[in-house]
Amino acid sequence: MTDNTYTYQAMFLLDNQEVRQNGFNAVRDQVKATLEKHGLTPRVLRLWGERKLAYPIGQRRRAVYLLGWLEGGPEAVNQARKDFYLVGPVFRCLFLREEAIPEEELAYGIEEVDESSLVIPEDVDEAPPAEAAAEAEAAAETESKPTGGEDAAEATEETAAAAVSEDGEAEQASEAVAASQEDKE
Amino acid sequence: MSRFQKRKPMPKVDSFDFKDIETLQRFLSPQGKLHSRKRTGLNARQQRQLKHAVKHARFLALLPYENR
Repeated sequence: MTDNTYTYQAMFLLDNQEVRQNGFNAVRDQVKATLEKHGLTPRVLRLWGERKLAYPIGQRRRAVYLLGWLEGGPEAVNQARKDFYLVGPVFRCLFLREEAIPEEELAYGIEEVDESSLVIPEDVDEAPPAEAAAEAEAAAETESKPTGGEDAAEATEETAAAAVSEDGEAEQASEAVAASQEDKE
Repeated sequence: MSRFQKRKPMPKVDSFDFKDIETLQRFLSPQGKLHSRKRTGLNARQQRQLKHAVKHARFLALLPYENR
């Protein structure tokens, strides 16, 4: 059994929403419990940072990174990985086999983080550039439509007025013709 | 004067860590592609370590798969 035990470096991406709701320490304890459930021994679990993702994963654009150093067997690692992806705050994880745990990492241990010091900004739902451009075009079209309608209404009014004036002129002309005919008679 | 601009020399690195994004980015093109051994000046083992580090960093969304 001891022959089949290795040291692993693990990185977990935690859902910001879960960390915001339950607090970092509670989420870290959840991860620790899952690791221990599968027979892994976490030596170090520490906050590595909260940062923007290089590409969106699902609807997430930011995540909290949890760095861990643990000991255990490869089967346990596989089971733990499957468990993390099924349920819980971890939406991505990476396990790498290493020679030993560095001294500076061992100093961290299972780190307690002051919740007030960990600021998690809200995920800004930025649309991709192509979609944003399409939305802007659509917005411009919807804005231009009412003004176009007004123009059309003005145009119809103008044409109606012109028609009225033309009618008026026609009436005047017909009256003048009638008067001239009466004069002739 | 030379027709071509002289490139910045690549940093001297013994081992690569997927968490050291700034160093990894020095070995990537603006499109996010890994430079060749000819350009990085690394030996085969180092180039392989760099490749693995970049792939791990990409998986963890520390580096993009492509920059358009």
